[in-house]
Amino acid sequence: MSENILSEGTPVTSTSDVLTPVVRRSRADQIFRGIATTASVTTFILMGLIGTFLLVKGYDALRVAGWSFLTESAWAPDQGGAFGVAAMLPYTVQIALVALVIAVPVALCTALFITEYAPRKLRRILTAMIDLLAAVPSLIYGLWGLFYLQPRLITLSKWMADHLGWVPFFTVDDQYGTSLGLFPSSTFVAGVVVSLMVIPICTVVMREVFSQAPAGEREGAMALGGTRWGVVRDVVLPFGRGGIIGGSMLGLGRAMGETIAVTLIISPSFDAKWSILDQGSNSIAALIALKFSESSTFGISALMAAGLVLFVITLIVNAAASTVVSKSRSGASTEI
Amino acid sequence: MSSDIALLDPGHKAAGLTATNVSCWFGTKKVLEGVNLDMAPGQVTALIGPSGCGKSTFLRTLNRMHELVPSATLAGEILIDGVDIYRGAIPVTDVRRRIGMVFQKPNPFPAMTVAENVVAGLKLSGMKVTRAERDHLIESCLTKAGLWNEVKNRLGDPGRALSGGQQQRLCIARSLAVSPQVLLMDEPCSALDPTSTRRIEQTISEISETVTVVIVTHNMQQAQRVSHRCAFFLAAENEPGRIIEEGATREIFSNPVDPRTNDYVNGRFG
Repeated sequence: MSENILSEGTPVTSTSDVLTPVVRRSRADQIFRGIATTASVTTFILMGLIGTFLLVKGYDALRVAGWSFLTESAWAPDQGGAFGVAAMLPYTVQIALVALVIAVPVALCTALFITEYAPRKLRRILTAMIDLLAAVPSLIYGLWGLFYLQPRLITLSKWMADHLGWVPFFTVDDQYGTSLGLFPSSTFVAGVVVSLMVIPICTVVMREVFSQAPAGEREGAMALGGTRWGVVRDVVLPFGRGGIIGGSMLGLGRAMGETIAVTLIISPSFDAKWSILDQGSNSIAALIALKFSESSTFGISALMAAGLVLFVITLIVNAAASTVVSKSRSGASTEI
Repeated sequence: MSSDIALLDPGHKAAGLTATNVSCWFGTKKVLEGVNLDMAPGQVTALIGPSGCGKSTFLRTLNRMHELVPSATLAGEILIDGVDIYRGAIPVTDVRRRIGMVFQKPNPFPAMTVAENVVAGLKLSGMKVTRAERDHLIESCLTKAGLWNEVKNRLGDPGRALSGGQQQRLCIARSLAVSPQVLLMDEPCSALDPTSTRRIEQTISEISETVTVVIVTHNMQQAQRVSHRCAFFLAAENEPGRIIEEGATREIFSNPVDPRTNDYVNGRFG
């Protein structure tokens, strides 16, 4: 039971005893408050509008397909055939995971190098470079990946298939043995290219959080004779947990939605498979980009439904991430 | 090598620190000039003076924490038992382990339990101990810091769950766990209540037999209670800080040579 401090020890008998403070806001405060409120409400409305738009536009297709939209892997809405995201969705996730498996360790080490090890001059240059990388359009990454990286990367793909083929993801079934021609336009190549786009985003978030690790704790660790690695392990990483997860999830969202670079690289496949090294992959975003101009009204409705699936999954991923982040110290308001 | 032996050797000795002609800069601003001070082994030396006179800066040069601030530079020489800590053969991590530090604001590691906090220094500097040694170290350091009875049933709690005074004693225990020969304390009681302060002063007099203590304090009574010797720092306006007077604590407080010292210790300014 809470006690009213204004009632001088006697219990509050009626609510009329409780004082309601009168707040008179200044004009400037009112105006700014209005602008800030409008802006934040706008983002909510925008989210709702996008979701509603996709649902309305995709409704025709979803009504025809029903739940089979999630289990059907073919895509022939224009021909009156079956259609669904059962192939695109796993491919989308595979590409995103390949990208994250590469991007997260690289981003983590880059962020730690920038905040903990690099001399100050180099730190500034590296930070600027990373920001610059984040600003390169994904089309450029796609072109570079297609014409420069892919012909070189497939040698690695072949090596992995030959020597690490016992790992389920790296198994390539081919009765004539593996040849280089099997490996272009694969999930792996697309994932590597997407990872290049994700690395700068992850690095920026992680670097920001690591640089906020409390100076008091850093100095405490140093004063105990801590090595740099000791300080990183016992102070910076525990503090930065939220940023590491948050940065990775932001990267995951970006990786799942990446369109043009993936579209350039993959050759569309509508059969989901475990192996990531051999030719043929797909993604929801790439599908939409590829089919959009050649689809009938109903086909477009089907594409909108696919877009809705991607939208919902991205929302779930981000919501999960923000829950984890807000529970960690670096995500919540920093206490020093 | 030598530090590992020191860790396991309970008979390690307090070391003397000698500062010769130490000057400090932040960028181009000189904050400390020509400080000479001898901090004798097994004694408590108090650094007193008004705010902004360079006491804390000087303290931080004594275990090479000063150089962590970007743009900070220094000149002069600091010896531990006759060995230069800046130019000598001792690695910087060993310097900081032999010359520990307790900060103004308690800073236990929040991701660690009380027990883990005590032995954090071992992990941080990559020293391995057996489980029995670890348990022994935790109990003996917490006892020395006067905290054992209060936390012996809470060793698994997070360090941040303790009160402010307990956290500061935990930080002292943490510093003692790596067997320092000198312990630097930067206003260790300024954020604490009188009871915790008294408890920490008691700890200081208990540990000073095996550890040389250098303490910065704004509290004149505290300086009188805990220290054997005192150094009075002062900075004139737009000038770097200097030592005005140093000597036995009794002399500084009862019979100071310099009139400015007399004014300060009697509370007439600062």
